[in-house]
Amino acid sequence: MKKAASVASQIFIERGRQVFQMDDYMSLIRGGHNFSVISTATRDIYSHYMKADLIINSDKRSYEMHADELDKNGLIIYNSDEIDNAEGIGVPFYSEAKKFPAKNLLYGVGAVAILACSIGISKNDLNEIIKREYPHFVEDNISFANFIYDYVFPKLNNKFEIENGDKKRPILTGNQSIAFGAIAGGLDVYFGYPMTPASSILHTLASQTDKFGLAIVHPENEIAVINMAIGSAFAGAKAMVGSSGGGFALMSEGFSLAGMTEAPVLCVLSMRPGPATGVPTYTEQGDLNFALNVGHGEFLRIVACPCSVKEAFYLSAEMLDLVWKFQTPGILLTEKHLSESSMTVDINMENTKWAEPKYHKNGNYKRYLDTEDGISPLLFPPSKNVIKWNSYEHDELGITTENPELITKMHNKRYKKDMHIIDFLKQLKTVNVYGNGGPLIFTYGSTTMSVLEALHYGDIEATIIQPIYLRPFPVWELERYKDEPVITIELSKMGQFTSLLKEKANIKSKNLINKYDGRPFDPIELAKKIKEVI
Amino acid sequence: MNTLDTYAENTWCPGCGNFGILNAFKKAIVKLEEKGINREYIVISAGIGCHAKIFDYLNISGLYSLHGRDIATIQGMKIANPELNVITFSGDGNAMGEGLAHTIFAAKRNFDMTLILHNNGVYALTTGQYTPLSEKGWKGPSTPKGSVEEPLNALAIMLEAGATFIARGFPGKQAHLTDIMVKAIEHKGFSFIEILQPTVAYNDTWQFYRENTEILEKEPKSFDEAMKNVKRKDKLPIGIFYRIKKPTFHEELYGNWNPVRNRISREKRFQLLKQYLT
Ligand SMILES: Cc1ncc(C[n+]2csc(CCOP(=O)(O)OP(=O)(O)O)c2C)c(N)n1
Ligand code: SF4
Ligand SMILES: [Mg+2]
Repeated sequence: MKKAASVASQIFIERGRQVFQMDDYMSLIRGGHNFSVISTATRDIYSHYMKADLIINSDKRSYEMHADELDKNGLIIYNSDEIDNAEGIGVPFYSEAKKFPAKNLLYGVGAVAILACSIGISKNDLNEIIKREYPHFVEDNISFANFIYDYVFPKLNNKFEIENGDKKRPILTGNQSIAFGAIAGGLDVYFGYPMTPASSILHTLASQTDKFGLAIVHPENEIAVINMAIGSAFAGAKAMVGSSGGGFALMSEGFSLAGMTEAPVLCVLSMRPGPATGVPTYTEQGDLNFALNVGHGEFLRIVACPCSVKEAFYLSAEMLDLVWKFQTPGILLTEKHLSESSMTVDINMENTKWAEPKYHKNGNYKRYLDTEDGISPLLFPPSKNVIKWNSYEHDELGITTENPELITKMHNKRYKKDMHIIDFLKQLKTVNVYGNGGPLIFTYGSTTMSVLEALHYGDIEATIIQPIYLRPFPVWELERYKDEPVITIELSKMGQFTSLLKEKANIKSKNLINKYDGRPFDPIELAKKIKEVI
Repeated sequence: MNTLDTYAENTWCPGCGNFGILNAFKKAIVKLEEKGINREYIVISAGIGCHAKIFDYLNISGLYSLHGRDIATIQGMKIANPELNVITFSGDGNAMGEGLAHTIFAAKRNFDMTLILHNNGVYALTTGQYTPLSEKGWKGPSTPKGSVEEPLNALAIMLEAGATFIARGFPGKQAHLTDIMVKAIEHKGFSFIEILQPTVAYNDTWQFYRENTEILEKEPKSFDEAMKNVKRKDKLPIGIFYRIKKPTFHEELYGNWNPVRNRISREKRFQLLKQYLT
């Protein structure tokens, strides 16, 4: 069904429309209940809508779960081999598919045929799509598609007339966008151990190894992942790692090592509901505090969280640049909802950053030279100079020390960078503001998209404020909201983002709209909740 | 030529076996340079423990890592730039306890690196607790009645895991140890040297090793013969037990590529990304 969904999205894309596709699947390989929701518009669209114009169910369980999600002018398709006489249009999926050897693979083809018919795509055009997208057993696929098409034609033909949009756009998942953004920003090596919802970064990059000359490694565990990345950075490679909460927890010791050695390493942390194994294939924003605090000892970190697939692209490159500029670890925080949802995007690569550190020029070298801004120029082996990075507290050359003056001095040296990171961030876009007037809504990450879509749907006038950077927290941009009553919206039981706003910017939430059932907000439901509090 | 020494104050106990390891290694570096392996291309790492202090005493580039993680650290270095020769100094607690998974996997993937195991049979820096290689009955502060576990045999595990160069040395036999180090570093693939390291503070084995080690007369010819030798208990053979040629991890991963030297330009990346972004 996931394949059918991406074919369906492609059909809309061909017509110049924008698409948001959310895949909901359980943590299992076969069976269970999986579904995808595709929403499309001729404007920017930021969320899927659970209320649907067309619902296609290939089994009884789906029908029972989704029947009440139908819009009042919508149409629902059910499998008439499993249910008789239900509301909607019955299609004999099983009995027809049984005639073909690859029967289980045909339901997706059937779904594509139904969609095609309902938006007035001719049978010829449908056959072209099937040939392109389902080349295995292509004859069977076409026969089946044509049968379904003819079967639903009388009731469904061109039921939903859709306009063409302005232009054809690429569609990416959040994780693809992070991966491509990192490549555009100078990535050389990636280390990852599979963990949903971060795995597809590893998979995307692994598939691009040869083309971009990358080294992509899946080692024994996440502890190896982060330590290998630090080793790579020592040798001059732009390194990135990725995981979800549990895997990143294993990286916490190495994250602290990056803090001490001043290793530029970018970590992608894609959140799923926790604690522990939690709910692997669903979404939440429960690891914000973890990202802000992970790692023992005191050291600087940069944490940023993109709101959309497009922003993820630029931010991935920008974060790579920042960790190299300031030689401290960074976290690109995101959620399953962004990582694994697909969106049409307009990306201008010229606007991406390219990781550019401060290099040692000539003369004697001290790895931890105490400079005015705390940034010690980098040099990589092989070199006539000796380059020592050290996990123990160390002197400027990188030799271990227990001397009290040196301990103080090196703490100060590392911490000096904080001011310079902030000065640098002040020149960047650290907060997105959408709209003006109306109540103030604070949110972050992909929840921002749910809010944007909810405001559109509910025709609500409000201003959305989304901090992109979470550490250092862009208080300089938020000063003006200090005494305003605000609404906060996040996917967290405890309201971690709401607390952060209070703690760092003294912004007090009068209403927290939160959700923690593993599902992102639906714009209609969210619009209602927002209206209740304004 | 730079000296191989640093200004760091040496804090090993007088008489510690680590001095012999340091000296043999410095001699090995000189020998390697005679053979054309320049020290600029040698990078080191170390775990955490008495053994690891060697990092501060050697004027060679590297990254002083975490307890057990040095084995992962140096693999990262080599993956980034395969022209580097990577060597790590590990303790028996370090490589066979905290970092065991990394050690086994480095052998399994025949990673082109050298792991020098300072086997002193204790967690020395944390005051003498039993390690995965301590004999059953070892009385340390965490096992006052004696450890109840049987020891691992590090070399047997490494052989089984896929190491392509396996040796044992003793700091009391300097020239022999130096020679093993040179050969291990020259070897393309995963080289593992177990060094029988007396710790005068906790496990003074100088006398025992002098009496019980025996230089291997000739290098075993097969895996089975190597296995038999590493398991010998009557005498402790020292020397090279096993050495075979096999493709290494980075060669299998990306052939002759070098991720940092051959980095693809920004412009070229943009051009290639167009396919996905337009
Ligand atoms: C994660 C972690 N756990 C524990 C320690 C404390 N620790 C420091 S050295 C050491 C044992 C070292 O034993 P070994 O590797 O045999 O080295 P040796 O001191 O004997 O040379 C331990 C447990 C640490 N530094 N890090
Ligand atoms: S405690 Fe043992 S290993 Fe550590 S320096 Fe002293 S003798 Fe050497
Ligand atoms: Mg030890």
